[in-house]
Amino acid sequence: MSGSGEAEPKVLPEGILAELRALTAHYPQKRGALLPILNRLQEWRGHLAPVDMRLAGELTGVAPADVFSVVTFYTMYRQRPAGRFPLGVCRNIACWINGSEQIVATVKDELGIAPGETTADGRFSLEEVECLGSCGTGPCLEIDSRYFENLTPDKVRALLARLSRADGDRSAAILAAQREERA
Amino acid sequence: MKTYLSNEFARRDPLLLVEAQAKGRYQQAKRVFTSLTPEQVVDEVKNAGLRGRGGAWFPTGIKWSFMPKELKGPSYLVINADEGEPGTFKDRQIMEKDPHLLLEGIMIGSFAIRAQTAFLYIRGEYLTAHDALATAIAELEAAGILGDSAFGSGRPMRIVLHRGAGAYICGEETALLNSLEGRRGEPRPKPPFPAVWGAFGRPTSVNNVETLANVPAILERGAAWFKTMGTAQAPGHLLFGVSGAVERPGCYELPLGTTARELVEKHAGGVKGGKKMRAFIPGGASTGFLPPDRLDVPMDPESLRKEGTMLGTGGIIVIPEGIEIVDAARVFSRFFRHETCGQCSPCREGSAWSDQVIGRFQNGEGRAEDFALLEDIMRGSKQRTICVFPEAFAGPLGSAIKHFRSELTQVSAQRAVGRAATEGTALHG
Repeated sequence: MSGSGEAEPKVLPEGILAELRALTAHYPQKRGALLPILNRLQEWRGHLAPVDMRLAGELTGVAPADVFSVVTFYTMYRQRPAGRFPLGVCRNIACWINGSEQIVATVKDELGIAPGETTADGRFSLEEVECLGSCGTGPCLEIDSRYFENLTPDKVRALLARLSRADGDRSAAILAAQREERA
Repeated sequence: MKTYLSNEFARRDPLLLVEAQAKGRYQQAKRVFTSLTPEQVVDEVKNAGLRGRGGAWFPTGIKWSFMPKELKGPSYLVINADEGEPGTFKDRQIMEKDPHLLLEGIMIGSFAIRAQTAFLYIRGEYLTAHDALATAIAELEAAGILGDSAFGSGRPMRIVLHRGAGAYICGEETALLNSLEGRRGEPRPKPPFPAVWGAFGRPTSVNNVETLANVPAILERGAAWFKTMGTAQAPGHLLFGVSGAVERPGCYELPLGTTARELVEKHAGGVKGGKKMRAFIPGGASTGFLPPDRLDVPMDPESLRKEGTMLGTGGIIVIPEGIEIVDAARVFSRFFRHETCGQCSPCREGSAWSDQVIGRFQNGEGRAEDFALLEDIMRGSKQRTICVFPEAFAGPLGSAIKHFRSELTQVSAQRAVGRAATEGTALHG
């Protein structure tokens, strides 16, 4: 499975480091910036590597073991790479009543991955997630916290086809797909 | 009926500051900052009888009055935008479509408790709402409304937007405070309550998004106006969610005390596809199941308490015929098992154990003595932990047993037959 292998070392750009330092100023105790810093680091790398947790700890004065205990508490933090487009399908009540199992089945049919798996080319991964607050617009799927709502199997197929062709900036590709889907 | 919370919900993009000001927004915040005292604001909100819309229904003005009047050092307003109760999607509408409605409420609320900094804690998944709020806060800073001297009052005011990272329990206010401080989102023992020891060890009031969105209208039109809507004990409008199997799921602004029937049948267009209703959930996952013959219950905290449940967040979920209660209950037991923070053993073990037992009924292995076992698990965890999470997971569990006991037994028996048949085939095939 590619995507989880050893990627080339990634060096944090100076600009992001400056952003992270600035975050600590918003809180009466530097530790308050821990989640915002982890969020930004994961947005950049796609997951949190040990070096990211170490840096977050240094910036906030929190011991590495303590940072690790925080990272393991929150479901949005990933310690391993996911697919380039990590699909999170809501499995809670309203989405489930309206067909979330069909959405998962469609992804499985199209990409050959079950929840917890990543495609061989590393482009997509799939997981089931809990309530996203899209109960009035389910079934819902999120990709890096961008929502795709009122889904049908056809809409899912169109979305996957579009993202299969999307290269370049990841966030931009997700937003473009979202715009197209809503249009 | 005139609405005051949802006027902008049909928009595609969020209302901008110039548009908001053209509609008269921020006039109340300005009046408050330049001509009222904190006591006057607290009294108006207290007199209006506004109660917290996050699910606990505690009177907002009274919560604010717990905050110290004489301060040495900072105090904070913390906004709970960690909306995560299954069936609830109201705060998201406010933040995505009308962020300035919330931000004006935050300014007024901060003034009322003498806080010069507000932390807006929004769940990590609400990135679109986060972006709308970030833009709106930047607009206010550029206009000098937020900054060193709000409305030229000489009083500083700033709002810090803070994203969470995925944890249902952070909707519990002291878990949220720990999370804001960069810790695991584990609820704190109380006392001390947040008004004494809150964010970063300072006096803090934690208020829900929709609660604060009510405040500008109360200041504009007065407590007497507010009390003309809703019930005597719970005045005002509520953003009711209706989801599940209905024709027109959505967020409907109506007076508290509106019946569940009116919401489901009139506003949401009835059960999807003309099916019958098997059950409904009145106010989010933790309020549990009610049978359809309770649809005429008025949706307010007191009426639902009489039904043995709660109004919660007012998010109705409709379960249609064709869906078994045991399967819906399993969706919830799995959710609560996943979301327990794990620091108190009765909750950590109780949520997992009850999920296992419900799983037996789902798989055709339910036993008669399992009902007593479930009751025992609930009794052994409720009121024995730091927060009310066991009360939450007992909601769907207890109501399934109370209202749908024979159905649970029946479905389990049917599925036992199905299992036997399959296993038989496997053995002989």
